[in-house]
Amino acid sequence: MHDKTVRRRRAVLGLLVVLSLLLLTAYFGEAPNGRLHAVQRDFLAIVSPLQDGANKALKPVRDLFDWFGNALHAKGQLAQSVKQTDKLRRELVADQAEKRSYRQLLAIYHLDQLGVSDYRPVTAEVVGKNPELWYATVTIDAGESSGVGINDPVINGEGLVGRVAQVASDGALVDLITESSMGVSARIGTSDATGLLQPKVGEPNDLLLQYLPGSTQPNVGENVVTSGTVSSGESLYPPGLPIGQVTSVNEESAYKSVNVRPFANLHDLGIVQVLTSGAGTRPSNLSRLATSLPAGQPALSGEQLASTQVGG
Amino acid sequence: MNGAMSSSLALRLAVFALVVVFFQVGVVAELPVFGVNADLCSLLVAFVGLMCGSSIGAACGFAVGLFVDLALLQTLGLTSLVFTLIGYWCGRLRELRDPQAALTPLIVGAAASGVSLLGYSLVEFMLGVDAPVSFELLREIVLGTVVNTILALPMWALTRRALERGLPEDPRRRRQRRTYTTGGLSPLTKP
Repeated sequence: MHDKTVRRRRAVLGLLVVLSLLLLTAYFGEAPNGRLHAVQRDFLAIVSPLQDGANKALKPVRDLFDWFGNALHAKGQLAQSVKQTDKLRRELVADQAEKRSYRQLLAIYHLDQLGVSDYRPVTAEVVGKNPELWYATVTIDAGESSGVGINDPVINGEGLVGRVAQVASDGALVDLITESSMGVSARIGTSDATGLLQPKVGEPNDLLLQYLPGSTQPNVGENVVTSGTVSSGESLYPPGLPIGQVTSVNEESAYKSVNVRPFANLHDLGIVQVLTSGAGTRPSNLSRLATSLPAGQPALSGEQLASTQVGG
Repeated sequence: MNGAMSSSLALRLAVFALVVVFFQVGVVAELPVFGVNADLCSLLVAFVGLMCGSSIGAACGFAVGLFVDLALLQTLGLTSLVFTLIGYWCGRLRELRDPQAALTPLIVGAAASGVSLLGYSLVEFMLGVDAPVSFELLREIVLGTVVNTILALPMWALTRRALERGLPEDPRRRRQRRTYTTGGLSPLTKP
């Protein structure tokens, strides 16, 4: 009985394998219009309506799986898109920063045409700002090692920004022109009338050019530039540096004064230039004098120093 | 049971095989998972062999393979040959070892899938298909086996559910069922 079962089992296997091989050989050997191919085509003709029916019946199942697949795919794509957006945003920010730096450098380059290159300009970046509304100081990343000294004028592409108040080896603190101790000898347009430009009390963004001779006829909209001279001689600031624009004129008895809005956007300083000067020059001498003052004495502006302590 | 098949089982087997093949052709073949398609037919043949024995497994493999070859206009006899061998070997496993471990379908499914994918490739190469042996082919075989392995347990449950009632009562399984049954009274407690 067992032998019979074994024989039958082996016979079934042998028969099916031989049948498969025969089919394989015959199918592989015959032409595409052969008998087996024809049988296959006939079978397909019979089965295809069933397949169509099954396809239609199973479409919801397929759609369901597709939905899951698409949802997963969409999730992956979303993550990829978010990553790509982040990357593009970073690139955009970097690009905008570069563009901004380029614009500022270009403006500084144009300013160089005014002759500031004689003052050994050192380009620096603003690395720290006082966050207060009344802020009047910024920190730059150039210091003594770059030749920056106290009282050196600081400019940007728009005009005068301030002067160096303290200096370290690789950084410096800059008093902006709106700082209360600042005073710049300035003139209006091409006139010879000079005055002292100081911050306007109570308005951090405005300056006041005062002590103009009574005969001066200032007009709103005129440019205010550094005069390059003080009563006692040469100023800390090179002549002709743009500072701002006259916004209104104040009528006073003996002297006239005008309100000035600075050209430089002091809230958005990026790249600046420090006009360093060589040893033995007047600004350098002033700097030495300022550092030799006893501690605790209120700091004087460069122009005040120039007019009171240094002769010639 | 080997070789002898009741008409109930034959009917159940034919209907179930037809449904699986149509499902394979109509749905599964159009849903790639990890870049490969699952092959329910090889799982079906393996599990039929595992449940019904070598002769029925081989016959089922041949029939399913022939149907697939005809329906998909493939080389006639190719799938039949591979599936016949798979069905037979799985049936022999049952007849010789009768493995009862819960993971048996998983292992058998994985082995059947691997053998079928490898078998197709081998026969195709022997027939002179112009395809280089590449890492891509190996990747497809491995991934296909993994995907089929994942589907092995659900497919085993379905196959058992579809065919179990058509199978003749197996004394060994009956004994096991009685041992594990918690309900009912023990003969010792009968009055």
